[in-house]
Amino acid sequence: MTQAILRRICVLILAVVATVLVPSSNWASTQEHHIVEIVAERFTFTPSEIRVSVGTTLELRVRSDDTMHGFRIVGGNVNLTVPKRRQGEAVVLFEAHEVGRFRFECSRLCGAGHNFMQGEIIVVEP
Amino acid sequence: MMLLGFMAMPGPSSAQTLGSETRQSGSDPGDPASGSLTGPVSGYMDFHYNNREDEDARLDFHRFVLLFSHSFSDRIRFVSELELEHAVVSNETAGELELEQAYVDFLITRSFNVRAGMLLAPVGIINERHEPPVFHGVERPFVDTVIVPTTWFDSGVGVHGEFRHGFRYRAYLMSPLDSTGFSADQGIREGRQKGVQSNARSMAGTGRLEYVGHPGLVLGTSFWSGDTGFQDLRFDTSVTMVEFDGRYRYGEFETRGEYAHGYLDGMGELNASRQRTVGVSPNVARQVRGFYLESSYFVSPLPAPRELALFVRYENFDTQYRMPTGFQPLKEFDRDALVFGLTYFPDPDIAVKLDYTVLRSQSDVVKAPDSLNIGLGWWF
Repeated sequence: MTQAILRRICVLILAVVATVLVPSSNWASTQEHHIVEIVAERFTFTPSEIRVSVGTTLELRVRSDDTMHGFRIVGGNVNLTVPKRRQGEAVVLFEAHEVGRFRFECSRLCGAGHNFMQGEIIVVEP
Repeated sequence: MMLLGFMAMPGPSSAQTLGSETRQSGSDPGDPASGSLTGPVSGYMDFHYNNREDEDARLDFHRFVLLFSHSFSDRIRFVSELELEHAVVSNETAGELELEQAYVDFLITRSFNVRAGMLLAPVGIINERHEPPVFHGVERPFVDTVIVPTTWFDSGVGVHGEFRHGFRYRAYLMSPLDSTGFSADQGIREGRQKGVQSNARSMAGTGRLEYVGHPGLVLGTSFWSGDTGFQDLRFDTSVTMVEFDGRYRYGEFETRGEYAHGYLDGMGELNASRQRTVGVSPNVARQVRGFYLESSYFVSPLPAPRELALFVRYENFDTQYRMPTGFQPLKEFDRDALVFGLTYFPDPDIAVKLDYTVLRSQSDVVKAPDSLNIGLGWWF
């Protein structure tokens, strides 16, 4: 009885160690990894300003609280659809190599105030 | 879960995008039927059934709106909104064809951008955010109709932007209101010039400060101030409106409120002048005021087509809140309303609405009618 319990505890510990050591996805990085959840709705991104240090890998998870929006990093190569409310999310991995400001915006006409939907990733010195 | 992942090539910026994907449940985001295709044309429509007490029921295609946009570059954008109200425009019908927005945005920095053309006055919750799926109730709130005269638009120029910590602003110079259109029951509503060769002898100033820095919370305050008496230069008239509003969403619960107060100067002279020239005083007030509180709850918080929300809204509005010296308020214009019902979303962009509106005035003589309303509104 006691041995069975010990075996189960060992298996559990091994499972936890394996989970920690084995990369969960091919996006895993040895750099600092920040996850930021962004809510998009007419006509805001919240948060609209994201500050990270150089060397950070930023994972942006964007979901909508109303209609379909777009998520585009101006001057970059990202232009994603943000699914409608309760229908999923858009995920962007962004690596901050150098200090700078990187504007993002809604790229899908979403109503009268569409052009107000902007935000900024600000990369600063650590 | 459908996964469409791709490794992106580095962009021109020094920071890199390593990858991006859309994780969508229920449909393939690459499928045109899922609506993922983007285009320069969008729009919304509003189809209503209104059954007012003591009147025949009416079916009304209230709004058919098309939005067109174009990007000249990343920093110069055009957006327009063309609206057909009540289906047919003719001398015999109430239909109107309106160019509610048509402006060019010059996007300079996040905190400072310039906009010019036909603009929406940045006043209140509904005026800039009026697509049918984003508000409950078949008709827009009374306060956002007779106190804040949505859709409030005119030609103008201004600046807008966002500061740190979620604060953002709009500040415009716009064509003023025309006081000859003011009335006892509709307040300043018919004073809108709507960009029809608008008299711009004296431009009005309008602006809004908004806080959007906390998820689910929007707090805003707006103002409008301008002369309105260019049709009759024998006396000065002007309108100053201040407004406060807030929206907060927590889980499936949302609440919103708005307070708007208009100060109309020179209305005593205006009333007396119209009495002399036309024979009837419009009995315009020197102050109009209204507020509402609304709460809603998604009782079925499941992905469409299983989304259903219930709501209740209380409104109080008075277009004769304070009268000029020598003029008496009519109690029929001191009104309040209880609006309650449901909104069903077969899709997040389609709203099937049902409400019952209990409208009351302080008058013992003139009865305010209750109404049963059903609406179908959609955005694409």
